[in-house]
Amino acid sequence: MNLRKGLIIRLCFCLALLTALWVLASCGGSGNQVNTTGNSSGSTTTVNNTQSIEVNLGPANNYVNGLFASVTICVHGTSTCQTIPNMLVDTGSEGVRVLASQLSLSLPAITDSGNNPLQECLGFADGSFLWGPVESADIQLAGETALSVPLQVVAAPDTGIPVPSSCSSGGGVNQGTVAGLGANGILGIGNFRQDCGGACTAASSQVPALYFLCPNSACQVTSVPLADQLQNPVWLFPQDNNGLLISLPSVSAGGAQTVSGSLIFGIGTQSNNALGSAQVYTTDANGDFQTTFKNVAYSQSFIDSGSNALYFLDSNTLGIPDCSDNTGFYCPGSTINYSATNTGLNGAAASLSFSIANADSLFNTNNGNNAAFNNLGGDSPGNFDWGMPFFYGHNVFIGIEGQAGPTGVIGPYWAY
Amino acid sequence: MKKLLAVLLLLLLGSAPAWAVLGEHVATVASDQKYLRGEVRATVQQGYSVQQITAADQSVVNEYVSPAGMVFGISWRGTVMPNLQLLLGSYYAQFQQAAQSRVRRRGPLVLRTDQLVVESGGHLRSFHGRAYVPSLLPRNVSAEVVR
Repeated sequence: MNLRKGLIIRLCFCLALLTALWVLASCGGSGNQVNTTGNSSGSTTTVNNTQSIEVNLGPANNYVNGLFASVTICVHGTSTCQTIPNMLVDTGSEGVRVLASQLSLSLPAITDSGNNPLQECLGFADGSFLWGPVESADIQLAGETALSVPLQVVAAPDTGIPVPSSCSSGGGVNQGTVAGLGANGILGIGNFRQDCGGACTAASSQVPALYFLCPNSACQVTSVPLADQLQNPVWLFPQDNNGLLISLPSVSAGGAQTVSGSLIFGIGTQSNNALGSAQVYTTDANGDFQTTFKNVAYSQSFIDSGSNALYFLDSNTLGIPDCSDNTGFYCPGSTINYSATNTGLNGAAASLSFSIANADSLFNTNNGNNAAFNNLGGDSPGNFDWGMPFFYGHNVFIGIEGQAGPTGVIGPYWAY
Repeated sequence: MKKLLAVLLLLLLGSAPAWAVLGEHVATVASDQKYLRGEVRATVQQGYSVQQITAADQSVVNEYVSPAGMVFGISWRGTVMPNLQLLLGSYYAQFQQAAQSRVRRRGPLVLRTDQLVVESGGHLRSFHGRAYVPSLLPRNVSAEVVR
């Protein structure tokens, strides 16, 4: 028995080592690292869980407070990979979405039983949208790999399927170009495992208009099993899969041209991602919590790295003017300090302070070359949308639904 | 004296619910059977009424109707963005223009003119918003009722 157990352990260790070598070999040049520890049982591997991220103006040179990372996409089970830079890190959505124009790999489509390729239309709050087929690939971030992950190839040119009118009905811009999106794609790593979840698994007549099948180019909304929906790749990692941490330094009041930080996978799984003194705020089933400002509670408030300012309330409520040049942003005569209290579903509550400066002035600072601002605000009547400025200067943890955190807390939650 | 007068009726509409769009008469608008199959709950408030429609995908649309039967406001919440072309009707072009003239802003959308107010926010799994036509607000009814 002992002999056999020892053999199995050695076999496991060899397999782990081989896997590590394969990952290393398949990502040559992309800077990924895999470290194996000499654990006596041989069953634990510690991989590099840190992906560098940067705030800059993005590939179209037009993005304010855009947080970008590189994502490596591989044909499943092969070393045929492509590293896509300038993917927007978005905690307000789930799944990898890459512009077809930036992807040189040929990936297998996700299809229904009739071999019709699955299509997706993701509309954003501002009316813009992304349209394209769902395909499957292995996703690598730092030393972490998720296998056979459904992702969206946006604005794929060869599908022969026109954008259905119900998709473009948001009224905004088709963001299927680098100029439109301001990024090469989106790395959606929010609080959920899938982009839609259970809501899209009901009968096709009862699901939200997110996924489509288009036989004969006539698109119909369809239900999609969880496994075929776009996936937050983090929860599919073999380890460090219960969430992640976005760590960015502080930004001075005038802004900064670039800001570098880290995307660290796992919460309390390695020495670099302990919760420490961070307070846990659980969210409701949709990822929202409550923000209280001047004794008024605003439900449906949320944290979102894909929102590029602190969007909250409106100029009438706050008594500060909107900008004349940059419509939709606040332009107080001088910087104003505010405080608000976030309250999780678990009752955890704490106040936080933030500042709002004159956006017209901010955008002119440094000849308009600054990309990162911690005091940029705009209107969002009736709630708080804690965008990128919220992330500067501290560690923000994102707990994924159904995944256990270090103190026994189960996602979805935030901690900071 | 409480403002809320009565909850009038609870209707279960099987296949062809009435569906109204912003700025049009609640009774004259053709139904969009594809978009809405759900439960309609009508309530009467002081000076206006609300038709709350819970669609099959559990998204919710509220229509705010004046005593003359005009839809002066709408609000929504749901997993994905609603079909604003349907909801906004003839006001859609104004919204579309605002949505396409966005500069630097990446987040919720707010359009505020004398003719139309649209506020659209949230994120995947939790979108919400409202729209109203200031000139169609019934007498003594605040825009704040549209929520």
